[in-house]
Amino acid sequence: MFSRRGFLGSAAFAGASAISGRAQAASIPEAAHMDKVTMQPPLQPASGPDYRPVVTLNGWSLPFRMNGDWKEFHLVAEPVVREFAEGMKVNLWGYNGQSPGPTIEAVEGDKVRVFVTNKLPEYTTVHWHGMIIPSGMDGVGGLTQPHIQPGKTFVYEFEMKKSGTFMYHPHSDEMVQMAMGMMGMVVVHPRDPGFRAVDRDFVFVMSTYRVDPGTYLPKVNEMTDFNMWAWNARVFPGIDPLPVRLGDKVRVRIGNLSMTNHPIHLHGHAFAVTCTDGGWIPESAQYPETTTDVPVGAVRVFDVLADNPGDWAFHCHKSHHTMNAMGHDMRNLIGVSRKDLAKAVGKLAPDAMVMGEKGMAMGTMEMPAPDNTLPMMTGDGQFGPIEMGGMFTVMKIREGLARDDYRDPGPYQFPKGTVAYEIDAPAAEPAKAPMKKMKM
Amino acid sequence: MSDKMVHTLTRCLLVLAALGLSGCAAFSPDAGMTAVSELTAQAIKKDVAFVRSAEGAETVNDNVRRLLARTLSADAAVQIALLNNKGLQAAYNELALAETDLVADSLPPNPVFSVSRIAGNGASEIERQVVGDILALATLPFRSDIARDRFRQAQLRAALATLRLAADVRRSYFRAVGANEMVVLLTDAKSTAESTAQLAVKLGETGSINKLDQAREQVFYAETTADLATARQAATSARERLARLMGLWDGGLDFRLANQLPALPRRPLSLPSIEVDAVAHRIDLQIARLELTALAKAQNLTEATRFVTLLDLAGIDRRTRDPDSTPFRERGFDVQFQIPIFDGGEVRVRQSVETYNLAFNRLTERAVNVRSEARDAYRVYRSTWDIASHYQREILPLRKIITEEMQLRFSSMQVDIFALLTEARQRLASLRGAIDAKQKFWLAQSELQTAVNGGGSPAATADNATTTAAAAPAGGH
Repeated sequence: MFSRRGFLGSAAFAGASAISGRAQAASIPEAAHMDKVTMQPPLQPASGPDYRPVVTLNGWSLPFRMNGDWKEFHLVAEPVVREFAEGMKVNLWGYNGQSPGPTIEAVEGDKVRVFVTNKLPEYTTVHWHGMIIPSGMDGVGGLTQPHIQPGKTFVYEFEMKKSGTFMYHPHSDEMVQMAMGMMGMVVVHPRDPGFRAVDRDFVFVMSTYRVDPGTYLPKVNEMTDFNMWAWNARVFPGIDPLPVRLGDKVRVRIGNLSMTNHPIHLHGHAFAVTCTDGGWIPESAQYPETTTDVPVGAVRVFDVLADNPGDWAFHCHKSHHTMNAMGHDMRNLIGVSRKDLAKAVGKLAPDAMVMGEKGMAMGTMEMPAPDNTLPMMTGDGQFGPIEMGGMFTVMKIREGLARDDYRDPGPYQFPKGTVAYEIDAPAAEPAKAPMKKMKM
Repeated sequence: MSDKMVHTLTRCLLVLAALGLSGCAAFSPDAGMTAVSELTAQAIKKDVAFVRSAEGAETVNDNVRRLLARTLSADAAVQIALLNNKGLQAAYNELALAETDLVADSLPPNPVFSVSRIAGNGASEIERQVVGDILALATLPFRSDIARDRFRQAQLRAALATLRLAADVRRSYFRAVGANEMVVLLTDAKSTAESTAQLAVKLGETGSINKLDQAREQVFYAETTADLATARQAATSARERLARLMGLWDGGLDFRLANQLPALPRRPLSLPSIEVDAVAHRIDLQIARLELTALAKAQNLTEATRFVTLLDLAGIDRRTRDPDSTPFRERGFDVQFQIPIFDGGEVRVRQSVETYNLAFNRLTERAVNVRSEARDAYRVYRSTWDIASHYQREILPLRKIITEEMQLRFSSMQVDIFALLTEARQRLASLRGAIDAKQKFWLAQSELQTAVNGGGSPAATADNATTTAAAAPAGGH
């Protein structure tokens, strides 16, 4: 599924192009644009203080320019078409060509100026979630600033007072705009590059959508009954794997702008939550976990030592969140014979496929589906169908990867004798405990 | 009056009688059927037969058997009825009877011969009379002309009966075939409903659905079963009616009907001159026109004879024998006529004038109605074509899309199997609507023929409204 693609260093920002026709070159920096949905290599800082950049899952970091003391970024809020996975495109709103928008990276103490141009059909603002900034820069339309009308450009200026992981999203018709995918992450690196340094640093934001089968636009009024569970507006098998060199210290930064919490689980390792959008957690307060719940409107960052090679599932533990679009009003057909079911379905819908009488596992069946609808669960591994969708991917821990190599290393070569196996055993009658007659 | 005069008178009677005879009709070899078959052949392109002999009956039987050997088309059904319906044969018998009236009315009045003998006291008197109705003889050409018109009317009536039967057969045929199509559809639907109802029972057993939902999923089966029974009964009745019209019984009853109504014509007929055609062709209108002609002639006759209604001329030959004298013979004539002194013939004239006016108004009314009926029949024909083709071109293709999309949604586990059932119910309602619409078109097409040719019946047909499935939202999200 995943090809080794898009990570050639010289190709960095090959897809980024200027849309500066409207920009006043003297005062407004170019707005970089992204047309790829795969994970882009880390954006190494060419100016300003040095830092070790993050990698955005299926995303990118926004280039900046130094203007005197100021680090200048340009966000363009605009309608975008986001591919959730191969075979499904959704009309969203985002920033600079993609939803979610690019990650904004800065360094503790930076003076940051963010130009925000509104190309949406309605007004917007940008709120800097979790960041300690002057009230007038907080981006709450009506409360702290006028809304940015379509066609207008506003400037936010603030100092990055503390390092950590934050988010940005509109605070202007936010119910609609967040349901349409307007969000992104902000990573502020410590001024001291040695402070809690890691080898690999991943970041993504979680969001959910209700995209009815055969449609292309999310239902913005949906409150609970979502059917697309996305990391960086991608769903499995559209989510890139997390390639990790064996022995690397790995940091994963997760924002949650969906409407429910997500217990995020990594196999094969114990990790510690080291940071929230509130700040760094003192090491004395950290405790080991394999699952961390990311609440709504919050950021959780965990650090893990990748000391166990292999292909490790990394996913939300709400099992329906590892499914793509499925009907929620379905009867349970377990226990009805396939023959009975096939008879009824054959009469009702001669071209339809019968599933669900043993469970919902479909194995290798190719499901016919309405236009622009992903199979409910899908993805293949080296041993067969993975049958997952939504918030699922794989952390691939391998020996010998290069330091900044984020290419998919392919399926894990299991050492001989380390894979669960079948033994040739007669089907034994399960032992039954003798029943004692109960006295009533 | 001298002998000579009497002779002259008698000769006159004979001459008049001869004149009258010249206008008189003889029985035709075909009992007037040729005209009927020409009229019907022109209107509906079918043969008719007036069975009056064993060989004729045999030919008819052969033809009917041949037509019955195949699945019946509407045309074949009409042809069988025209050959085999005994009611129609009875109508032809009436035509033959009308011919007897024509012949009777075109013969001169029979002269009356009387002989009276009075005897007594040795004397006797013998009187012989020949009495002829001179007026009747004089008006014979007129009356025979009127009688011919009446006979022509009878022929038209026979043709009308033929067309009416043909129209009845077509209507019944399309009802029967439409009912068959409905039965086929509902049989299929019942089988679908049955397997889903069984599935609902199974799901009840596994604990997947409760009693309420089981009942909801099973009610379609129950309703479809009832609908199918109703449709079967309607099909049987329609078939019986068709059998009656085709005059079939016993061995002929196993005729085969199509299971589907014919497809709609690609384009409806465009009949811009339908009113004119109808006024020109309608047989009932022709009958009314002839009635008016006959009445006009009758009125002229009445006018001509208003002052004399009876003119009898009698030639008298009396022989008297008396023992006291030599017998002698007397000859003379007697003329009797009735003069309507008190009413001056006014009553009869008024009667005939009003009868004529009445017929004139009836004819005009009928012509107005025929024009309106023709317009209406064409509009109904057009709109039923539009509706039926709307079903074929819009509704059914949309239903097909819905079905396919629902199948995709079911296959990709977006909707429950019973959402397919809900969709199937709605599809069934559309298919039933389509059959109804197609049947209405074919009925309207039959009515269009009768609107131009005659033979239609204005009997309103009860619309059997389609059960529209409750607009339950199709499942899915």
